[in-house]
Amino acid sequence: MKNFTYVRANSIEDAVSRATSDRQAMFIAGGTNLVDRLKVFLDEPSQLVDVSRLEMKQIERTNTGSLKIGALVTNTALANHIEVRRNYPLLSRAVLAGASQQIRNMATVGGNLMQRTRCPYYYDTAFPCNKRQQNTGCPATTGMNRTHAILGASESCVATNPSDMSVALAAIDAVVEVEGVQGKREIPLIDFHRLPGNNPERDTNLEPGELITAVILPPLSFSQSGVYLKLRDRASYAFALVSVATALEVAGDKIKTARVALGGVAHKPWRAMEAEEFLIGKAANKSNFEQAAEIALQDAQPLAHNGFKVELSKRAIRRALAVSAQGGGLA
Amino acid sequence: MNQVIGKSVNRKDGRAKVTGEATYGAEHQIQGLVHGYLVTATIAKGSIRTIDTQKAEATPGVIAVFTHKNPPKVFKPTNNWMTSKIYEARLPLSDNTIHYAGQIVGLVVADTFERARDAAQQIQIEYETQPVEVNAQQANYQKAKSMFGEDMEYVAGEFETGDFSAVDTATVEATYTTEVEIHAPMEPHALVAHWENNDSVTIYEPTQWVKGSQRTYAELVGLPPERVRIVSPYIGGGFGCKAFPWPHGILCVTAAKEIKRPLKVVVSRRQMTANTGHRSHTEQTIRLAANKEGKLSAIEHTAKSCTSPVDVFTEPCTGITPVMYTTPNMKLKQELAVLNVGTPTFMRAPGENPGMFALESAMDELAWELNIDPIELRLRNETKEHQRKKLPFSAKHFAECLTTGAEKFGWSDRQMQPRSQQQGDLLVGWGMASATFPALRSSVEAKVRLLDDGTAHVLTAGNDMGTGAYTVIAMTAAETLGLPVENIRVELGDSMLPNGGLAGGSQMTASLTPAVLAACQSVLETAQAQNAQEAFAKLRESGRAAYEATASSAPGEEGKKFAFNSWGAHFCEVTVDEEIARLRITRWVSVMNIGRVLNSKTAASQIRGGVIMGIGQALMEECHLDPTTGYPVVYDLATYHFPAHADIPRIEVSFVGEPDLDFNPMGVRGCGEIGITGVAAAVTNAVYHATGKRIRSLPITPDKLL
Ligand SMILES: Cc1cc2nc3c(=O)[nH]c(=O)nc-3n(C[C@H](O)[C@H](O)[C@H](O)COP(=O)(O)OP(=O)(O)OC[C@H]3O[C@@H](n4cnc5c(N)ncnc54)[C@H](O)[C@@H]3O)c2cc1C
Repeated sequence: MKNFTYVRANSIEDAVSRATSDRQAMFIAGGTNLVDRLKVFLDEPSQLVDVSRLEMKQIERTNTGSLKIGALVTNTALANHIEVRRNYPLLSRAVLAGASQQIRNMATVGGNLMQRTRCPYYYDTAFPCNKRQQNTGCPATTGMNRTHAILGASESCVATNPSDMSVALAAIDAVVEVEGVQGKREIPLIDFHRLPGNNPERDTNLEPGELITAVILPPLSFSQSGVYLKLRDRASYAFALVSVATALEVAGDKIKTARVALGGVAHKPWRAMEAEEFLIGKAANKSNFEQAAEIALQDAQPLAHNGFKVELSKRAIRRALAVSAQGGGLA
Repeated sequence: MNQVIGKSVNRKDGRAKVTGEATYGAEHQIQGLVHGYLVTATIAKGSIRTIDTQKAEATPGVIAVFTHKNPPKVFKPTNNWMTSKIYEARLPLSDNTIHYAGQIVGLVVADTFERARDAAQQIQIEYETQPVEVNAQQANYQKAKSMFGEDMEYVAGEFETGDFSAVDTATVEATYTTEVEIHAPMEPHALVAHWENNDSVTIYEPTQWVKGSQRTYAELVGLPPERVRIVSPYIGGGFGCKAFPWPHGILCVTAAKEIKRPLKVVVSRRQMTANTGHRSHTEQTIRLAANKEGKLSAIEHTAKSCTSPVDVFTEPCTGITPVMYTTPNMKLKQELAVLNVGTPTFMRAPGENPGMFALESAMDELAWELNIDPIELRLRNETKEHQRKKLPFSAKHFAECLTTGAEKFGWSDRQMQPRSQQQGDLLVGWGMASATFPALRSSVEAKVRLLDDGTAHVLTAGNDMGTGAYTVIAMTAAETLGLPVENIRVELGDSMLPNGGLAGGSQMTASLTPAVLAACQSVLETAQAQNAQEAFAKLRESGRAAYEATASSAPGEEGKKFAFNSWGAHFCEVTVDEEIARLRITRWVSVMNIGRVLNSKTAASQIRGGVIMGIGQALMEECHLDPTTGYPVVYDLATYHFPAHADIPRIEVSFVGEPDLDFNPMGVRGCGEIGITGVAAAVTNAVYHATGKRIRSLPITPDKLL
């Protein structure tokens, strides 16, 4: 059996230096995703560096008016925080749409950003998987792919990113703060996760040894219009087939700014930039929302079983934008 | 009979369950216990060319590795329903052939669970693979026999000489499909086998049939039944998948003997998707002919289901057809195909459930076609007799279920046309469907003891898989003896106790409570007392420690005079947000006719549980198989969906009718399975009313509503 050692990091530097000197080391925070993966042999670390006791549990306002969320803030604490609920309601709703109360109580912001795909072929070592082991093949492309990607996939991987929180963060233009041995750096959320290309084993642009320390939410004047709509196979406790986060800034009768991000459709939270650009300067009405939805999905490449996601995504976008246009709320 | 019978009584085992005091199969702690982990096939058809266990054997803590090259000694069981029954007929590790993905190909035993699991990963297998057949749509169907070997075909009236076109013109003809559903009880399959001296074994395993399991394991290990003890006081849900020993159980018990240590085997959720039973995919075609008034002139029902290469299980979908609606011309046909899948098995209302989905959908289609209210259509076609058995039904109150349900639901306010009811942006639909399940009972025994401490004990090898058996047995004894329920102790689930029958086919209560009634009467006779208090007084006077009596109860001649079924009706409301394909069930009313209701609380819970499971089938349950390897691509309870709380509305349950004393002296018919029958049809019928869209293939996932 491949045993691992377990250590509690006593500082951020300690955690980073352990993970940098030992490439087989892994951070563990809430453990709600990693422990499941360990049990089915998806990861075989040499050491688990427990970061859960580090001082990254604050939610604080920065002097630029942003909200800085420590990487160890639990999903529950994030969703219920008064400033988050007041100023970023779509983030609060996205987090509450994920997992279950018990899991959210343990799950952290950092862990949520780093959770891996729920592709069934990735999850069972009986199947080959390029994400698990390079160049072994992707049975999902020809197998059962009802839940898989319709945008930005590659021949080597059609998996989707399962996070709800990240979709809202993408719409908010959040920034991920990370720390490595070289020091701190900031990565815009939309560049944090990667498309699979030929390297599906890499989900993110985090460098080996780097630790997520915080997520920064810039001020968003029109965040009240925020909507998070998650469509799934059961009413709760299921990953999204398709989800969408939207927000609209409307001045007079024209859209000034639009945000549209999709979940469940790609290897990363998907910002529909072209759809957003199309909306700018247009009236906030049904036909423009319909066109925006068409644009957002124009490059979709469905597989054998997930064609419905294209239509479902379009409708979700239309609905979410319509609710955003009415000032936000539940969709 | 009305001191406690019929009241709402809390579960006797409730506290033990919520405090963790109740001990389930895998929780039995035994000195020196070691752990087995199953190795399962990753291909669905072919054979093992080489299997290399050296590395696994050399890993720390490993005690033994069993494969087809060195299977533990096992005796071939007679494997018929009366003596022993195993699921599946092929014994584990009997050769190197692979019939389905997930088939057990080895067992690794180690000192800890983690070491056994890790060593199992080290086993290297090379397969000779053959193309798999896992697609039910393309399978090769043949005329089916039932799992009891009976001919399932039936023709009546003009079908005896002609086909449908010769009989009449079909008013409705449609094909309905249901998906593979896997068993996912809260307690996974698990057991501990503990041998003493090589010549007796105790098996701690959840089983729905204690005595059957005892006889079967006895044959498998070559011992007389009295040397095999089954301990199964609690079952964390069975639903049909814990009725007979499966390959993992056989392996655990036989391997434990060879390694001379108590052995535990727990089947993982992943493994349970493949090798402990499922409900087969079904495809059913129904043709109905009726006149303008809705009187049926012909019903033809053809059903297809699939089985594994290693056993026969036909999902008996057509069994309900002669029971529900009267018609002079009827034709029933069942077909079966072999796929490279694990062996399907009983799952709550096997046959009745998919059968009622098809029939009750078709009846709804007929109602729309003829513009007749669906309740009225059913009332016009009710049958007073079982058309295949040609016997009248006893204590049948089906019509009352329909009319009472309609009233409770407010059916008369229904807007007739599809898409005519709205709530803001949502379409609202109302649907209904009938429910039925046969009333069964078998020969069982119970022992009752009156003790000098003022309590009574009831002992029988029946069991309670969460249904409420402990409680209704205690209530029956309390009523008969004149004692409070708290003073009754019930012991179940141990093969040392008198034969308690099978908890399956909704028959445990109908079988056992008459025996308990008889044993209580008999113990009072022994004591020459009118009630327990008198008997206790006599005990004190005489200095005796206890009075004891055993009584049995068995079906008699009544089956020659009557046919016995339970009846019901479901009503539901759905809302559909059409643009985003979001369907919610918002209201549910079920009215059931099950003979005497012993415990109104647990009986209603059984119906609710059935409705919830039926909603799961209607909306989300499906086990997809990888088309190339045949392996299920659901792998845990996060990927195999069944309802969460948010999917379930308030479910209002009520009962009608009187005790069915023609059936048994308690007048009870059982209610474990009827609740699920008709549920999926009630939902799709409501979806049709809401949207005008007829869903004939389950489950109704969002993609089907676009
Ligand atoms: C049954 C179930 C249902 C779920 N449903 C949903 C759902 O509907 N929607 C949804 O969004 N999520 C869902 N989740 C996933 C859940 O949100 C994640 O498991 C959780 O957010 C992970 O956080 P954690 O702190 O427990 O991470 P861990 O399990 O501790 O870690 C996960 C990964 O993140 C890495 N990591 C952790 N912290 C850091 C850090 N600070 N810097 C760098 N790397 C780090 C770890 O090394 C590991 O690889 C579900 C989970 C389960 C088990």
